[in-house]
Amino acid sequence: MSGKLAHVYIVDQGSTTEECHSGRMISDLDYALQFVWDKIATVLSANRKTWKVGVLGLRSDETRNTLSEEEGYENINLLQDIDEINIGHLHELQAALKPSSTAAGDSISAIVVAIDMIERHCRLGTGKQGKFGKKIVLVTDGKGSIDDGGDQAHINSIADRIDELDIELVILGTDFDDLDFGFKEEDKTERKRNNEALLKLLTERCNKSQFGTIAEAVDNLEVPEVKTAKPYPTFKGRLSLGDYFKYPETALYIDVQRYFKTKQAKVPSASSFTTAPNGNPGTQPSHTLPVDTEMIDAKNLAVVRNAYRYQVHDPTAPGGKRDVERDDLAKGYEYGRTAVYISEAELNITKFQTLASFSIIGFVPSDKYERYLNMGPSCITIAQTVNPKAVMALSSLIHALFELESYAVARIVGKDGKDPEIILLAPLIEPDLEALIDVPLPFAEDLRMYRFPPLDRVVTTSGATVSKHRNLPSEDLENSMSDYVDAMELSNFGKDEEGQPTEYMTINENYSPAIHRINQAIRSRAIDPHGTVEPPSEFLMQWSNPPVGLVEKATPGLKALVEAADIKKVEAKKMGRRFAREKAKPLSGLDVDSLLDTPVSQTISAENAIPEFKQLLTNTTTDSAVQTAAKQMGDIIKEFVQDSTGDHSYPRALENLKVFRNEMVTFEMPELYNKFMRGFKKLLLKEELGGERREFFVRVGQQKLGLIEHKTVEQSDVTEEQASEFLSLKSELPYRGR
Amino acid sequence: MADSREGWKNEEEDEEEELDETNYIAQKDAVLFAIDVSDRMLQPPPESNSKRAETDSPAMAAIKCAYQIMQQRIISSPKDMMGVLLFGTEESKFQEEDSNARGSIAYPHCYLLSDLNIPAAEDVKVLKSIVEDPEKAEKLLSPTKEPVSMSNLLFCANQIFTTRAPNFGSRRLFIITDKDDPHGSDKTARSQATVRAKDLYDLGVVIELFPISQEDHEFDRTKFYDDIIYRDPAEENDHALGPTSLKSNGDGISLLASLVSDINSKQVAKRTLFSNLPFEIGPGFKISVKGYNLLQKQMPARSCYVWLDGETPQIVTGQSARHEEHSTRVVEKAEIKKAYKFGGSQIMFSPEEQKELKNFGLPGLRIIGFKPQAMLPFWASVKKSTFIYPSEDDFVGSTRVFAALWQKLLKDKKMGLAWYIARVNATPLLVAILPSQERFDEGTNVQVIPAGLWLYPIPFVDDIRSPPEVPAPLVAPDELTDGMRKVVQQLQLPKAMYDPRKYPNPSLQWHYQILQSLALDDDLPEMADDKTVPKFRQIEKRAAEYINNWGKILAELSDSVKHKTEHDEDDPPKKKIKMKAETLEEMSVADLRKVIDAGTLSKYTATDLKSWLVSKNLPATGKKIDLIDRVEQWVEDN
Repeated sequence: MSGKLAHVYIVDQGSTTEECHSGRMISDLDYALQFVWDKIATVLSANRKTWKVGVLGLRSDETRNTLSEEEGYENINLLQDIDEINIGHLHELQAALKPSSTAAGDSISAIVVAIDMIERHCRLGTGKQGKFGKKIVLVTDGKGSIDDGGDQAHINSIADRIDELDIELVILGTDFDDLDFGFKEEDKTERKRNNEALLKLLTERCNKSQFGTIAEAVDNLEVPEVKTAKPYPTFKGRLSLGDYFKYPETALYIDVQRYFKTKQAKVPSASSFTTAPNGNPGTQPSHTLPVDTEMIDAKNLAVVRNAYRYQVHDPTAPGGKRDVERDDLAKGYEYGRTAVYISEAELNITKFQTLASFSIIGFVPSDKYERYLNMGPSCITIAQTVNPKAVMALSSLIHALFELESYAVARIVGKDGKDPEIILLAPLIEPDLEALIDVPLPFAEDLRMYRFPPLDRVVTTSGATVSKHRNLPSEDLENSMSDYVDAMELSNFGKDEEGQPTEYMTINENYSPAIHRINQAIRSRAIDPHGTVEPPSEFLMQWSNPPVGLVEKATPGLKALVEAADIKKVEAKKMGRRFAREKAKPLSGLDVDSLLDTPVSQTISAENAIPEFKQLLTNTTTDSAVQTAAKQMGDIIKEFVQDSTGDHSYPRALENLKVFRNEMVTFEMPELYNKFMRGFKKLLLKEELGGERREFFVRVGQQKLGLIEHKTVEQSDVTEEQASEFLSLKSELPYRGR
Repeated sequence: MADSREGWKNEEEDEEEELDETNYIAQKDAVLFAIDVSDRMLQPPPESNSKRAETDSPAMAAIKCAYQIMQQRIISSPKDMMGVLLFGTEESKFQEEDSNARGSIAYPHCYLLSDLNIPAAEDVKVLKSIVEDPEKAEKLLSPTKEPVSMSNLLFCANQIFTTRAPNFGSRRLFIITDKDDPHGSDKTARSQATVRAKDLYDLGVVIELFPISQEDHEFDRTKFYDDIIYRDPAEENDHALGPTSLKSNGDGISLLASLVSDINSKQVAKRTLFSNLPFEIGPGFKISVKGYNLLQKQMPARSCYVWLDGETPQIVTGQSARHEEHSTRVVEKAEIKKAYKFGGSQIMFSPEEQKELKNFGLPGLRIIGFKPQAMLPFWASVKKSTFIYPSEDDFVGSTRVFAALWQKLLKDKKMGLAWYIARVNATPLLVAILPSQERFDEGTNVQVIPAGLWLYPIPFVDDIRSPPEVPAPLVAPDELTDGMRKVVQQLQLPKAMYDPRKYPNPSLQWHYQILQSLALDDDLPEMADDKTVPKFRQIEKRAAEYINNWGKILAELSDSVKHKTEHDEDDPPKKKIKMKAETLEEMSVADLRKVIDAGTLSKYTATDLKSWLVSKNLPATGKKIDLIDRVEQWVEDN
């Protein structure tokens, strides 16, 4: 769908379109317009300057069109000439397209007007027709009178003209009969039946055409339109094997081009705005939006920009940091925590210098490759098209790989200076296409070495291997899993057009829910600014659950599996472990506390606060002991903040605070923590803990160390609102102006 | 307001998709190496005739290992901390005095070689100097005569973690020693050590032991270390990998290599991408899984701003604030509305609506059904996969069910298809669930690929690009394909597989090599060691004859098939002829000198320069400027 477009919509707005039919609650016109608005909105959402749309009202009260001088073109109203369209136009069209008070107007004449519009619009300076995607869409209720010119010659001549100009003609009718879709209007009038036949005849005479009932078109709106991108080569040059510079006789190269085969489509991105206070239009960002656009929904929007403050550590400055100007800064890199400064002239000294190249490293049998190592999108490599020698050479490589069931591993540098990549090339042989498909492979650094225990055996602490264990499936479980997996087979669950079993859920039916839901919502909102956000359409959610039919079939198997699996859900975290906490033991099971000659000390030291606090709580049995521990912990935290140079000790204070909070949650004594926090906040804000400490309180909020809410622990009487209120410092912080 | 360095440089808000990765990286890790320095640890291994025999003492191997790992971590996890502590040394040294240290106590016979921190060039230098300067090493690595107190070491480590990495999510102490019973019959010392170990456990520090067995003595963990090492019962799995044991025996695989590979497999903090995600195998039948990012494209860090007006260059931290354009009014998060560009205008949604638009239901992984793996086309690749492994946290029995599914998929080469939402508000994906067979390194027997399942994202229709129109293919005749087949057969990769570990990323390595040289004031490396360049000599040796043969067949075929086209092709554009009367290779030395004197050598392409260099048996790699230098040098010498 790339390239230039010139589409004309003809909307039948005759007085008859006011009626409602077939049990619908909206008028026939509004029903048909659903389709039209959605299509126009799709063009709008592309934000393409070269996609142009024209709109004609048919059976309108007014007559205004390019051919209105001639007879037979009455009641056709040009609402929008073929041009770029914006949201303002859309809203104007919405206002204009209401049922008229006349039944007069000829739909075939309107098509002729549309042909004329397109012909003129697409005419180049040379007089020839330019390359456009041309389309005429007529939506009608089929109740107007049509002058068929007396014979089919008239229809044929129109069809010829349409073909000559390479226009696609789409005619959609309200309650038109469509047996494929399964609709037939029973009480059809004679006139409508004739009109349907005539319009159908016209579409049949055209090369590129569609004829259908509106209901089907509206249904199909659910199937999203996919944006296509123009292919551009990611590499153009030689695919080599061996060093053909050094060994021209015994190394080879083939001239090839490589294109993207897949590339992740992006979810449309939103920009940030604020509604300017008091509707001050002066803040309207003129350079990001065309000035001449009418801002229907975007009145008084101010663009939000990011501003950066640059700071360096300076122990002498308040807060330990001071601002520096960006202009005074040099560029560099971090090597660990060392700043490596690099002068402007040498800025690309760390850049690995490369020259474009594409060279095969070696070959691997295809069954040795694991798909999950793929690092990203695939590409397709074809031979240089105008070079038969290259085509044949590449073909021999493709067929050799195919016959040997092998893949090639290659190093590619797309363009001079780009980073090398390693890719895996597989042969693709289709009747009209021979190519190599490739996927990127990981480098050594891209592979994270995490180790996991095996799934088919259990290794005990002593190093012995056992094959029967609660973590290993029993034979029964293995069998029922196997049966269940077989029962849920999708490869033949689908039905093709002839009703034969075929693959269910193919990639070609897999539309991105995220992309199309947003697009759909944007279109809906453009058409109706006051509408609400709808849940995702059924169509987009079609693969979110297994198909009902299959589930039914597999139910007995699932039952057996559930039984064999014997899964137990772990109850929600058991609270109230207070005073009965299990003591952690080392691998040997040694009871460490029993080793101590003296009972655990009741005082907590600042330097070893966390372990001592935890141990004190573990060994305590009374509320008062918990209170003492909490009091000590609180004092230590305050002390850390008080003595901190700048923010130096903040992390430590926060860590202690976190442990304090967690323990109080476990002990179901939230009030001890909350009481401390309230007093602590006051001290912080009154600058009684070594000066300006608001920054610390901001971090308390960031790390979610505020009051313990009722939601977390029943015993707390702090509501969610109170908790978030507690963390707010109103507008006092954190920006100290720029 | 973002205070992390990653965030603030984003000029535009590509927040949504990126968010996950940054959160993931935010789980910071701190590792402290504690290396035992004793007479035995300093003994070089027994003499051996093996060529690969190592000469490093265990202690030296451990320091070298720390040195390697430090450099590695600077690249792979630049926000993580590392430190090196020697114990049992004659000398003692602790943290530098700083204003916040409260009367810092010295820990006898603990020598803090490099304090726990994000490594700086200085730290690398310190380790390097020990590794490279035997005299310095000898002086430092002098063991004390006194018995070493383990409780003292453990408390020293406790204080290092407490002060340097208080709020790190992952903190680990790596003890490298050959002494399995440091306190023998000294009960008091032993109890003190266990109490200090408990402190570390309560602090959240995990002890990893790297025991070194000597030739005459097998390390016995039960003697002492099982009393000080704790394992979270939830993490029991980790332990189920079985204990490691390292040997210093002089031949075969060096202690250093096995130490590096063992530490490597543990040094990366195992970070989960998500934990306890419900995995619905059938309607109503759930287990729980954890997700891991085992594949992560490593990129050179972005450049940053450096402030040069201080005593030492300093990295500038940035804070961003949002404000209205054309005014300096700072904007609160709650005020921000999101709008989409649409038909020349903006379509707006409130934050609530925006949130609703991202809501596709609760996070989870739900099986839709199964297909043969062969039904996943090769091209259907769009994003890296995520590894999942069962967790017993939410559903007891998850592991066995997961294992049963894994077995079935592996045995029948099937894949699951599933609807997948990784986190709240994450974009829903369709994934193929692929099983992986456990794979080990043949040399060290360390696990390379774990057994488990992978969530492999299936492309959407939206992600598929159409290739350009091409004319109908010209299928190669059998004789040509046969010729190529022989070539392919000759050039299989070692072990018939692509082993990523053999291919470090040359741009990444180069970037950090240069940075390291600059940071350490070393000489800049001349040329990159690029392991991804094909082994041309090998190819020549093994396939020259076959390639030559294939070339001849191709030439014959194309001569006969498309004689005319071929002829046209061979005529290079006229412009080119004018520019280059002759190639470099055809020039005499005198002509070359003229070109150099005229300063027009740079007009030749790098390819031309390269082929000339090759013809003179000179190295043909490097930047163009290097190539030119080399040509000039040669002309001058001749």
